[in-house]
Amino acid sequence: MGNTSIVAVAQPSAEAQRVLAAQQAKARKFMIKLALVWVGIFVVLGVAFKLLKFDMNFMFDRLDFILAGIKYTLLVSAAGISLAIILALLGALGRLSKNPIANGIATFYVSFVRGTPLLVQVYIWYLGLPQIGQQLESLGLSGVQRLLTLPAIPAGILALGVCYGAYMTETFRAGIQSIGKGQTEAAYSLGMTPGQTLRRVILPQAIRVVIPPIGNDFVAMLKDSSLVSVMGVWELTYRATKMGRRYFRSLETLTVAALIYWLMCIILQTLQARLEAYMGRGERR
Amino acid sequence: MAPIIRVRKLEKCFGKLYVLKGLDLDVEAGEVLVIIGRSGSGKSTFLRCLNFLEEPTAGTIEVDGVVIPAGEPSREHRIHIQQIRAKTGMVFQHFNLFPHMTALENVIEGPITVKGMSREEAIEIGERLLGWVGLMDKRDEYPSRLSGGQQQRVAIARALAMEPKIMLFDEPTSALDPELIGEVLDVMKRLAREGMTMIVVTHEMGFAREVADRVIFMGDGVWVEEGTPEEIFDNPKDPRTRDFLRHIL
Repeated sequence: MGNTSIVAVAQPSAEAQRVLAAQQAKARKFMIKLALVWVGIFVVLGVAFKLLKFDMNFMFDRLDFILAGIKYTLLVSAAGISLAIILALLGALGRLSKNPIANGIATFYVSFVRGTPLLVQVYIWYLGLPQIGQQLESLGLSGVQRLLTLPAIPAGILALGVCYGAYMTETFRAGIQSIGKGQTEAAYSLGMTPGQTLRRVILPQAIRVVIPPIGNDFVAMLKDSSLVSVMGVWELTYRATKMGRRYFRSLETLTVAALIYWLMCIILQTLQARLEAYMGRGERR
Repeated sequence: MAPIIRVRKLEKCFGKLYVLKGLDLDVEAGEVLVIIGRSGSGKSTFLRCLNFLEEPTAGTIEVDGVVIPAGEPSREHRIHIQQIRAKTGMVFQHFNLFPHMTALENVIEGPITVKGMSREEAIEIGERLLGWVGLMDKRDEYPSRLSGGQQQRVAIARALAMEPKIMLFDEPTSALDPELIGEVLDVMKRLAREGMTMIVVTHEMGFAREVADRVIFMGDGVWVEEGTPEEIFDNPKDPRTRDFLRHIL
């Protein structure tokens, strides 16, 4: 075998290298153009803000006031998603259950909650529940009305948690069903009970499957938490609209709120990507 | 001595499909029984009925003194199924290892979760079994990093960790590349030599001839013919057996 062929085996030919270089250059050019488009979008927006006589100073001055709403937004979202995960797990088990009571309740829950607007649900928790309390009170259950008259924040958490729990029930159910039947059979053949099989074999695998959709739901909930502003919770949206109306500068304050939501979503999506990478460590295929 | 497995009038229907048509079987302790037959003849279904992965439609199954008649799942019924499963290990065609656990974790899962064994004790058993199937060096690998043959050997170790009296093999080499079949069959042969009661559904006729005490040819949900490997392979009496063997050998 000649010398040249050994060289040829050791590294790609000049022709191949040229093609490779061209491909890389093309990819680089695309990235540069993409960056330029983004810069362009911001320039256009900046000009538009200028033409609309956006009061930037006003925006900066009120930033603190609006930012203070983040803690309520985060509180309502975090508590809401926690409640949703618990409800979704129960809901999924119910939907998969052969017990007609559990299955019926879970199916009703998913169907009803998914079939009604979140805003209506928020009002039911906040305005409808006290009325139920009143009726029960008049039937002789003392103290019920006070219990069912919820402050805005707990009502918001319940509304978001129950609503997203219904959507996530279907996510969890799909996640559990995505785990092959062979896994259950292997666990059963070892003598595991259905409960042990669920805890030790099915759920650990299903959770990996459902983390991406749960992350999406959390991002969506963060934004839907703005609906609790209708109950007067001093979160981002409430503060933005309140301040905007007072000074007739709603576009400015709402833009600030929108940017804050956007930034939070970007941060969340980054965290989600890391979590997925971490959870997927056993699954090298 | 009483047989360790006693099956009487076992029937199984999937909806309108009549799969097992009243089977009787006695298996002695220490016996290696190989069931052969065409796909769709009911071999796997029969095997899966023995540890109730399939609920029999009618008949009775007795494993090591635990008698379960087919029927409505009562609490007692479920407890008996649990008892039978604890006495039988099963090896699947597609291994069914738990992908989120390492090889060792797969093996110790049963003893810890089902038997309530301490982790230390289970690891001791697990390491001994992984060594026995020749995979001690793969102890901390996840199944996705193992070859099919290695996965199936871990699966055998996992089943053995429960110290079963009977091992059921459901086409254990059918999903393997040809060059990996030998390592799994070797482990099974050693298990047979150590006196394990085994029921094996397989298409490996060489294994059946070498290891089986008895071979049953199954067709259409009934036993067509049974005998020693010599009787079945060298001198099959039923035309269906002859036809099957002509095609597969």
